[in-house]
Amino acid sequence: MDIWFVVSNTIVLACIYGTLAIGVSITWSSLGLLNLAYGFIFAFAGYGAWLFAQHVSSWGPAVLASGVLSGALGGLFVCALAFIPIHDKPNFTIRGLIATLAINLIGTQSLLWWFGPRSKSLPEIFGTWKFSLSGMTLTADKVGNVITSVVMLLLVLRWMRSSRRGLEIRAMMMNPHAASIVGIGVRRTSFYVMALTGALAGLAAVLLSQTYYISPFGGLTAMIKAVSIALCGGLGSVQGAVIAAVVLGLNEALTTVSIGGRYVLITQFLMIILILLVRPRGIAGILDRAREA
Amino acid sequence: MTERSQAQRTWRNPLFVWDSGQEVEQLPTASFVSHQEIWDTTRASSTKLFPVGRLRYYHKWAGHGESLWRRHRYWPTRRRVLRIRGEYNEKSLRREKTIVDKRPIWWVMGLIALALIPLITPASLENTLLTAGVTFGIYAAINLCWMLVIGTASIFSLATYAIVGTAAFVTAYSSATLGLPWWALPPLGAVVGLIFGGIIALPATRLDGFYYALLTLGLNELCRVYFVTSKEFGSATGGLYGAATYIPQDWSSSGQLQLAYYACFTLMLLALLLYRFVNGRRLGRILRMAPEKREAFAEATGVNYRQARVRVFLISSIALGFVGGFYSANYGGVAFSIFSFDTVLLGLAMLVIGGVGRSEGAVVGTLIVVFFDKVLITLGPMRLIIIGLIMLFVVLYLRNGLFGIKQQFRSWRNKKKSERRSTRAEKGGEMLPEEATEASSVDDVYRRRYDKMQREFLKRLLTPEVIDEHRRAPQGQHSEALERLLIYFRNQPQPDKYAITALQSIEGYRIVALSGHRGVAPRVVEDKIYRSPSEAYHGVFLRRVQDLLES
Repeated sequence: MDIWFVVSNTIVLACIYGTLAIGVSITWSSLGLLNLAYGFIFAFAGYGAWLFAQHVSSWGPAVLASGVLSGALGGLFVCALAFIPIHDKPNFTIRGLIATLAINLIGTQSLLWWFGPRSKSLPEIFGTWKFSLSGMTLTADKVGNVITSVVMLLLVLRWMRSSRRGLEIRAMMMNPHAASIVGIGVRRTSFYVMALTGALAGLAAVLLSQTYYISPFGGLTAMIKAVSIALCGGLGSVQGAVIAAVVLGLNEALTTVSIGGRYVLITQFLMIILILLVRPRGIAGILDRAREA
Repeated sequence: MTERSQAQRTWRNPLFVWDSGQEVEQLPTASFVSHQEIWDTTRASSTKLFPVGRLRYYHKWAGHGESLWRRHRYWPTRRRVLRIRGEYNEKSLRREKTIVDKRPIWWVMGLIALALIPLITPASLENTLLTAGVTFGIYAAINLCWMLVIGTASIFSLATYAIVGTAAFVTAYSSATLGLPWWALPPLGAVVGLIFGGIIALPATRLDGFYYALLTLGLNELCRVYFVTSKEFGSATGGLYGAATYIPQDWSSSGQLQLAYYACFTLMLLALLLYRFVNGRRLGRILRMAPEKREAFAEATGVNYRQARVRVFLISSIALGFVGGFYSANYGGVAFSIFSFDTVLLGLAMLVIGGVGRSEGAVVGTLIVVFFDKVLITLGPMRLIIIGLIMLFVVLYLRNGLFGIKQQFRSWRNKKKSERRSTRAEKGGEMLPEEATEASSVDDVYRRRYDKMQREFLKRLLTPEVIDEHRRAPQGQHSEALERLLIYFRNQPQPDKYAITALQSIEGYRIVALSGHRGVAPRVVEDKIYRSPSEAYHGVFLRRVQDLLES
């Protein structure tokens, strides 16, 4: 077993999964909405980046930015359609879940209808260079993925810590009722949150498309992994999501090397079930009691 | 308002010709307005109201003649055939009966229609419709079992198709390799379902409904990936085929379709029976006591809801495994698409469109979705978009699916009714309905209503001219409006009625209010001292006008 291969794979996977899972986690803890339209936003952002690369420019950073922007747009769309009309109606949690699932169905089928079933590939954003470092070969897309996602995550976390909007979002995460009493509008904040998490999904979509392709249903696996990582880390906790992303990335890399890629999901779910049996609210799940009240 | 009353009227003083000291010859007077009109405008609400219907309407059937009452019951249960309420009509002096719950009638009619469909389908549509009907039967059975899990046990499980698919794959595999006959597949599937359900019931006892939903969503994907990638389950052919089937190969295709249709219809009937026996009997009642978020209450009343939930979960897992075995016996195999995310989504759409927690919701929702998905197959991806739009509409606007519309409409109507009632409750001395029921004499109610009406009318007569007229001549002949006001003021009861006292020390007058009791002195209402009786009269008049306007 190649230890360096496992480590580098773990890091790459953890970065991408972390980006996705933190988006799910933030949405859940601040809005109480479990965004299962994430797969659609993911594919939507991928197609946005692809259209940009086809028609405007295939310069790497611009494609990345267009993917992020179209992801944010998809997030806003989901927010306007699935959060705003029902967030104050009875039984919101389940209805929000089903509404986002419905948007996922409509959205992915529309993408299939519009773009056809053939998958598209994006240009190489980070170039095609590679170099070796003490027996480990680092390719451009791996290094680029890690650096971009870490930088973006740090930016997002810094923005959440230091800006006015970030303060509003964090207030909503702690107590939405109290936040609305002191003048933080639930609806306005929800648009910020959904744009932010949509942008993260778009980022992950473009980064993952360096390895895989863009297809109407390509977001599904990513979404299921993101949701299960967020669940495993404790819905609503950013640190928990990062820890879970590292643990599950390590698990995935180890499984691929030792028994084979087709058992990845099995070991992953066994792991999640084990973790959840020990800690039913996830690794760092603390906010939920307040959130569900 | 008539034309005559609209014209400005003038009052002529009949005494003017004799004594023209300080009298006026003629005065403009308030135009005539009907009392009824004033009453109506006073009571009318300014809020916009919608006609929202009245009482619930029930058709009244004739009674049973000689025998007082018939109570047939379904044999193993204590249920009556129809829930009928008997009444005695006091007006017609007859016995009447009202069918309180008409759902069984709709069920029977719907099932008869479904049973007759193969006989009346035109030959050109037979293939499409009966194939869709087969799918409908199987999916309705699956959804009924799923509804037991989501609705009755309130475990939000999305692993239903994982159970069905696993059972179908295992039975198809064992039939293809071991050569099991078709009738052995459903029981084998039930065993598989029990084992699989037992495994995934383990986390269900620990996790909250919502967390469990996410977990099972992934479980479904796990099964899909496992079966798609494993060679023995036919990763090369897109599914596993070659299982034994109950459909004889030497029949005509139309006969095969009809047989499959009726077999799936029977499967659905069995699932309905199961639903009825779980949801409508003790287990379901226990769980209805413990819906989501009210578990603590149920536990306090002695309901072991965890055990009941696991039991329902296992029962429906067995049933789902049975359906899975039937699935492979019906199609002679199974495709990977049973695990696909879209299948789960469409299944959820079926439940949501019909309404969670109702068997008719599961069946009708399945009917709608299967119609769009299988009959309108020429639409391509558009049909799934339509289903998604229906699902979105239902989730955004309806509280509990199509079959919850009635309930939702009624609660909306009740809200509107109470809004209307609260706008009507303008109180000006009149009794509110709940006060009126407590009143000892109905005369009181009407007297107060009459008084209110009269005051509303008199308020209309109060104009600056009238007050000015009184200031000039407190006594003597008055215009009609002023005369009406003064008569009303004079007829007021004694307690707190205004009066004038002449002061002993100086020449002056002061306004007092009578106590209304013999021997109790009147009280002084203001410090102002009037120099002449007519000023004092006018002072009293102004106070009364003030009181009238404030009432």
